[in-house]
Amino acid sequence: MNTLALSVYILIWPVIVAGVLYTICRGFVREWLEARRKGQRLI
Amino acid sequence: MDGTETFQFSALVVVGLLVFFYGGSFWMSTRIGKKDENADGYMTGGNNIGFGMSAASMTATWIWAASMYASATSGYTYGISGPIHYGLWGALMILFIYPFGKRIRSVAPKAHTLAEVMYARHGRSSQLMLAGSNVVGSLISLMSNFIAGGVLISLLSPFNFVQGVFAVAAGTLLYAVWSGFRASVLTDFVQVLAMLGAVVVIVPVIFFASGFPAAFETGAHQLTAQQGDFFSSEAFMNQGAPYIAAVLAYAIGNQTIAQRLFAVKESLIKPTFITATIGYGAMVIGVGMLGVLALYLGYDPGSDLNNLIPGMAATYLPPALLALFFIMIIGALSSTADADLCALSSITMTDFYGQAAAGKEKANPRTMLLVGRITMVVATAAAVAFASMRLSILDLLVFVGALWGALVFPVLASFYWEKVTSKAFTSSVIAALVVFLPVRFGWIPTDGAFGIFVDVVSVIGIGVVLGLMTFGFFGIKAAKVVGVLAAVLAAPFAIGHLHEHATLCGSLVAYAVSTVVCWAMSVRSGKTFDFSVIAQRTGDFDDASAHAAAVSADDGDNGGDGGDDGKAGVPQQAVSTDERPASAASAK
Repeated sequence: MNTLALSVYILIWPVIVAGVLYTICRGFVREWLEARRKGQRLI
Repeated sequence: MDGTETFQFSALVVVGLLVFFYGGSFWMSTRIGKKDENADGYMTGGNNIGFGMSAASMTATWIWAASMYASATSGYTYGISGPIHYGLWGALMILFIYPFGKRIRSVAPKAHTLAEVMYARHGRSSQLMLAGSNVVGSLISLMSNFIAGGVLISLLSPFNFVQGVFAVAAGTLLYAVWSGFRASVLTDFVQVLAMLGAVVVIVPVIFFASGFPAAFETGAHQLTAQQGDFFSSEAFMNQGAPYIAAVLAYAIGNQTIAQRLFAVKESLIKPTFITATIGYGAMVIGVGMLGVLALYLGYDPGSDLNNLIPGMAATYLPPALLALFFIMIIGALSSTADADLCALSSITMTDFYGQAAAGKEKANPRTMLLVGRITMVVATAAAVAFASMRLSILDLLVFVGALWGALVFPVLASFYWEKVTSKAFTSSVIAALVVFLPVRFGWIPTDGAFGIFVDVVSVIGIGVVLGLMTFGFFGIKAAKVVGVLAAVLAAPFAIGHLHEHATLCGSLVAYAVSTVVCWAMSVRSGKTFDFSVIAQRTGDFDDASAHAAAVSADDGDNGGDGGDDGKAGVPQQAVSTDERPASAASAK
C-alpha cells in the first residue's frame, strides 16, 4: 500500500468511531427527551 | 526506540483521576438508586431499555482493556492486517449472535440468563453446565480487568500493582453493588462516550506526533513481507482463524451479552447489535493501529507487549491527553468489570437461588437482591485475590473457551429443534470436551493417524461453524449448503496440515463433536417440545402476575423433554406442538 492509502487505512477508524458516537448520543438524547415528556424513568 | 521508561503522573493526579472517574460513576448510580430495588430490574433493567443506552452498554461491555492491548499486539506482531484479524472477528461475535438473540428473546422474553432458559428447556444439568461456564468465564474476565487496571496504574503512577488492583476493584464495586444492572448500563453510557471520544482524538494525535505519514516510508524496512501484506496468511492462521472459530462460542458463553439481550426492548435488538458491532470493531481496530505505527517506528515495548499502548501514549501524548487515555483504559476495564459483576449476580440470583435453592414459585425477591449484592462483594474479593497472585489465566481461558465451543450447537439447536433432549445436550458437551482436551494440550502425538483424525474432525468443525453462522441469517437450507461446501473446499488444504494449529483445532473439534453427537442422539429421539413453555417458566420474579403464571405452569401439563430431575420448574412432558412458533420447526 502507498503512503496515502496507509494513512487513510489508519485514520478511517477514528472517523467511524465518531459516527458511532454520534448515533449512540442521538439515540440517547431522543429517548431521554421522550422519557421526560412521559414522566418516566430512563432506566 | 525504547518505550520501557515512560512518563508518570504524580500520586495526586492519579488519585484525582480515579476519584473523578469512580466518584462520578457512583454519583450517577445514586441518581437512579431506589430504596427498594426490584430484583428483575437489578438483573435486566426491566427488559425495556432503549437503543442509545443498550448500544452504548453492549459496546462498552464487549470492549475490555485486554481487547485493546491484544489488538495493538496483533498489529505489532502481524503487521498491517493484524488489528483487523483481532477486531473484525471480535466485532462479528456481536453481529452473528444477533439473529439467534432475536430467537432466544422471542421464546424467553423475560428471562434473566441463558442458563435459566436451558433449565426451562432441558432441566438441571444443561443449566449447570452453562451457568458454571458463565461463572468461571466472568470471574476470569473480572480478574483480567483488575490485572489490567493494576498494570496501568503501576506503569503511569508511583502506586504499585496491588494498590492499583484494589483501587479499580473498590471503585467498580462501589457504583455497581446497589443498583446492579441498571447502574452498569447507565455508567456504561458515560464510559463509552469517554472511550470512543478518546479514540477519536488520541489515534490521530499519535499518528501525526510520531511522524506519520512520512514514517511509512522511513520505517518500511522494519516490516517483514508478511507484516506488510494485507492478506498475510500468517496473520490469518495465527490470529484470525482461531477467532472466527470462537465467534459464536464467546457470544453464547458470555452472560454479559445475554443479559443485555434480555434487557433491550425486543424491537430494538437489531439496531443495538449492529451499532455495537460497528462501534466495537472500529474502536478496537483503531487502537490496534497504534501497534502498526509502533512497528513502523521500530518502537521497543520491552519484554511485555502489554506496555505497547501505554508506552506509545506516554511517549507521544501531552499530559492532558495522556489523562484522557488513562480514563479511556480505566473506563474500558471498569465497564466490563461491572458487567461481569452483574452477570455473576444474575446467575446466582436466578440459577442458584431463584431456580434451584428456593424454586421459582417460592423465591423471595428481597432475598434475591441480597444474594446478588453478596455475590458482587464475594466475586470482587475473589478476583482481587487471584489478580494479586498474578495467576496465569491463559489455560483457564482456553478451557472455558472450549467449553463454550462445545455448548454452541446444543444451546442453539435447543432453541429451534424440538427433538433435542437433555441427554443429548449433556452427552454431546461431555464428548466434545473429551476430544478437545488431548487435541488442545497435545496429550496424544498428532504426527500419525491421530493427526489425520484431528484434521478430519476439524474439517467437520469448519462446516459446523460456517453453517451455524449462515443459519442465523438465512435458515437451514442455506446453512446446510454452506456447511457442506465449506467442509468439502477446506478438506484438501486442511487434512494433513491443520493439526499443526492446536488452538484452532481444539475449538473446531469441540464444535464438530458436540454437533455430531447432539444431532445423532436427537434425530431419532421422537421427543417434542412446546417452546411457549419457556416464556412461562422464565418470567419476572418480582411480578405478582408472572409469579402466579409460573406456579400455574409448574402445576400444569407443559411440554419438556424429560429433564434430569423432577423438581419444580423442570419441564416434564410435551403435550402439543400445535402452538409452537412457526420458526421453531424450521431447523429440523
